[in-house]
Amino acid sequence: MNPLFAIVIGVLFGCGVFLLLKPDLFRVIAGLVLVSNAANLTLMASGLTRSGQAPIAPVEGNEPVADPLVQAMTLTALVIGFAVTSVLLALCYGVYRARRSVDLDELSREEAAEAAALEADEPPLDEESEYDQQDEFDEEIVR
Amino acid sequence: MSLIAAPLLLLWPGAIVLALLDGRRRGPGALAVAILAAVFVLLAVLLAAVVARGPQELVAGGWAPDVGIRLRVDALGAVFAVLSCGVLLASLLQAVITGIHARATPSLTLFMALGLTGLFLTGDIFSFYVFFELAMICAYALTAAGGGDRRVRAAFTFAVVNLLGSFLFLIGIGALYRATGTLEMAAVAQQAATIDPNTGLLIAVTFFVAFGIKLGLFPFHFWLPSVYLAVAPHVAAMFAGALANIGTYGLLRFGGAILPAELELSSAALIAIGALSIAYGALQAIARRDTREVLAYSSIGHAGYVLIALGIGGPVGIGAAVIFSIANALNKTLLFLGSELRGRLAATAFLVGVLSVAGVPPTAGFFGKAALFDAGIDAGSITTVTLLFVGGALSFVYLFQIYQHDRWRPRAEREREMPTGAASPGQRGVALAVAAIVVLLGLWPEPLLAIGEQAAQEITATTPGRAEP
Repeated sequence: MNPLFAIVIGVLFGCGVFLLLKPDLFRVIAGLVLVSNAANLTLMASGLTRSGQAPIAPVEGNEPVADPLVQAMTLTALVIGFAVTSVLLALCYGVYRARRSVDLDELSREEAAEAAALEADEPPLDEESEYDQQDEFDEEIVR
Repeated sequence: MSLIAAPLLLLWPGAIVLALLDGRRRGPGALAVAILAAVFVLLAVLLAAVVARGPQELVAGGWAPDVGIRLRVDALGAVFAVLSCGVLLASLLQAVITGIHARATPSLTLFMALGLTGLFLTGDIFSFYVFFELAMICAYALTAAGGGDRRVRAAFTFAVVNLLGSFLFLIGIGALYRATGTLEMAAVAQQAATIDPNTGLLIAVTFFVAFGIKLGLFPFHFWLPSVYLAVAPHVAAMFAGALANIGTYGLLRFGGAILPAELELSSAALIAIGALSIAYGALQAIARRDTREVLAYSSIGHAGYVLIALGIGGPVGIGAAVIFSIANALNKTLLFLGSELRGRLAATAFLVGVLSVAGVPPTAGFFGKAALFDAGIDAGSITTVTLLFVGGALSFVYLFQIYQHDRWRPRAEREREMPTGAASPGQRGVALAVAAIVVLLGLWPEPLLAIGEQAAQEITATTPGRAEP
């Protein structure tokens, strides 16, 4: 059982890191979800020292019982991972609302262009209205 | 001892109620400040009890001691809880006086206080992780709150980098549970001596990376400047003064108390990384002109001092790390809160912060630096002492540069760049109060030094027989 868990965790973590390095915010989030699941599996695997019947009372006879603690921990970690993913998706949506893009290369190009425009003392067109929209949206997001 | 649970039980419902109210109004803001102030008083009473009677314990939910989750508070946890809560209180008060633009700020601040207080007071590794995530999620949301796509982008980077650290920490917890069969910090510390050295070192490295990211140490610092630059000054003060304490506390708790053998083994590496962090932070800060950018890089540099003190180790090194972190958190709060206030009194408060960072008496920073020098001399390392001296001199140079840049130029020239009027009496009052604490701790440092010593003794005493090198 142990080698199988190790391989699956390794593959999950590797795929997660691969996606994390992509220049696309959505893929970065997907990568983090994979990494979080690699961590959850590690937690499960840390309880493999003893196996047995499901740890649900009443326990039958004198048979050994699997470690319930790791399952409780994994459940908690799953819920936290869920919350964190939704926060990340909200932030990603915030970037999309402001820039109409989640591609990091495009975003940096746009930012560089804006910085150049600011240096030349010419604020880019429509900046005002865009920021106003953004403010409203952010008030929404923190609700 | 319900005194341990009381701060958490006060913060939890308070934060939930505030989440339903509109935080931009005066009422909810004042309520949040009142709750935080009450929690601060409770934690101060708890700290006094810990100093007088030693570590306090409580098993949550009335379970049997080995079944329930144990809350355990010693001098280190209590002092960091008081410090973080005080920093959050000052920052929130400043925010309420200035005017809050995001609906959820008071609620998020209380949730962050809950997460921080919880993780400083818990004696269980997994609930440490839960509280830690709670505080971090609030930090991501606080970064994005208030608007501007720059903030949202900074929050995204902040969240991604720190989450990767959190998941590594979770993997480390799994590994530690597998190796020791328990989650209770004290029991893990006892079992840690029996861990296979290679496994122990791997676990220690995951913890180091996780807390290094929180603290913004040199190789893990890249998220820090963009976040500190994007957020409002009071949020930056919360991050530098309260949130960064997670990193320091985690390194002290997991390195100093739970895995001391691994800490000793990696002492040379810690000192090297600390030295790099100091050099990198100071040199970057000198090259900048924007106040908050300088302060952000200065935070990276100051994280390095903590690491060096930890690398020196032993009661002296750990005591120095505690004292320095307390002084540093107060300094950074003061500097961030004062960074955008104008007027003579605000400038005085800012100057106190500058002098404290440079380590000029009579300020708290002097005793932080003195404790570090003491540790360096105790370890007999000339390079460490030289490094501390050069680092201190550089921090004086860059902070005086920004003081000069911000406050000594003709008013018209200054206001073209940053059109802020003189600060309101309330804003100045908060900055001056923090400055007064910094000076007071410099004039009467006995409590600070005594707490540092007690914390160091308790940490090194949890592992009998392994404290001596």
